[in-house]
Amino acid sequence: MRVDREIGYILHTRNYRETSLIVEVFARRHGRLGLIAKGAKRQKSGMVGILNSFHPLLLSWSGRGELATLTNAESVSAYDRLAGDTLYCAFYLNELLMRLLHRHDAHETLFDSYQEALATLRTQGAGEPVLRIFEKRLLQELGYALVLDHDVERAQSIDPEALYQYVPERGPIQANGKQRHGIEVHGTSLLDLDREELENPRSRRETKRLMRAVLARHLGDKPLQSRLLLQQVFKLRADDLSPE
Amino acid sequence: MIEGLKQALCKLPGVGPRTAQRMAFHLLERDREGARHIAEALTSALQNITNCTRCNNFSEQELCPICASARRKAEQLCVVESPADLEAIEKAGVYQGMYFVLMGRLSPLDGVGPDDLRLEQLEQRLAEGGVQELILATNLTVEGEATAHYIGELAQKRGVEVTRIAQGVPVGGELEYIDRNTLAHAISGRHKL
Ligand SMILES: [Zn+2]
Repeated sequence: MRVDREIGYILHTRNYRETSLIVEVFARRHGRLGLIAKGAKRQKSGMVGILNSFHPLLLSWSGRGELATLTNAESVSAYDRLAGDTLYCAFYLNELLMRLLHRHDAHETLFDSYQEALATLRTQGAGEPVLRIFEKRLLQELGYALVLDHDVERAQSIDPEALYQYVPERGPIQANGKQRHGIEVHGTSLLDLDREELENPRSRRETKRLMRAVLARHLGDKPLQSRLLLQQVFKLRADDLSPE
Repeated sequence: MIEGLKQALCKLPGVGPRTAQRMAFHLLERDREGARHIAEALTSALQNITNCTRCNNFSEQELCPICASARRKAEQLCVVESPADLEAIEKAGVYQGMYFVLMGRLSPLDGVGPDDLRLEQLEQRLAEGGVQELILATNLTVEGEATAHYIGELAQKRGVEVTRIAQGVPVGGELEYIDRNTLAHAISGRHKL
């Protein structure tokens, strides 16, 4: 099978043999796939400086099976590099995709959301809302859409003023003093996430806890390394150097 | 016994089972003297080469020749990912300062975080004082950039001036594989982070 000039992003690369790379790609029409880039680290391969994450590429490959061979990679536009916190956030998006996408399942809508998230990071800098919206759309695309518009027990619309218990495998249930194993969130937070408008600080705080709990069910015990990195960055900033 | 040798040779980077078999047969059939030489060189390297206690580069002494040298500028400290990168910069021949080898880079998707690099040792080095400029010469890959930013913040907190090697090295390029001239330009054209 030959595939010619398909738009895609590099999620991750690792060294393979002396000068080659195994490249994990997220292509719009092909989903996540693994490609061998033979001799990619040699200057004359023409791939040095091209195979970067977070930058759209036109990729050509051939072969079938688990690992096809990358035959060409072209940059679509001038390289626009991410820096600092936006870079850490972009790693987070890639790690989510690497952990949750299966190879060879196309996700065109999700691909567009990914592209949109990267664009937002570039124009607006690092921020929680971009990550929450991407997480929400990712779960939706994988068939685990969150219920954000109605109470799953009473079949009533979400009341912005009310307090809910969000039970990860079910959805929001209005808190009425009964103890449940859910995440406490206000109606406004659910509606804000539904509309993808997370300006309200409380909504940000609550949806962060909510998404974390929901994602944990799909990610298993292994923590997201890029989340740990972000936590360490914030800790580094908060640490006081002066001796006690 | 021959299986064991083949498996041992497979540990070399870029050597698969077939190459390993060819190497093993070659050494045993045609070049036993060469084989003995390899064995001795490996044993002696393992016995005598450790990591420099100051910069982590490979060294036969507690301090490597660069760290021990009085001619190098102690106020400049250049941070690189690997000994191969250090070697590449040395070959470019324009840098007179000291080094610090991280022995890795931040790579969340490979599970490498700040605690996996020798950052405590680097912080200690900065805390000693004397370093006026920290030059970030990690690779211009996304992981190298992330590493540079993290260390940059770490150093700026201590009031150390931080510079990053200039573009000129192609983005995504790894130092080990770049020609000398480009690398020399990159070192002299470094800029403030
Ligand atoms: Zn040294």
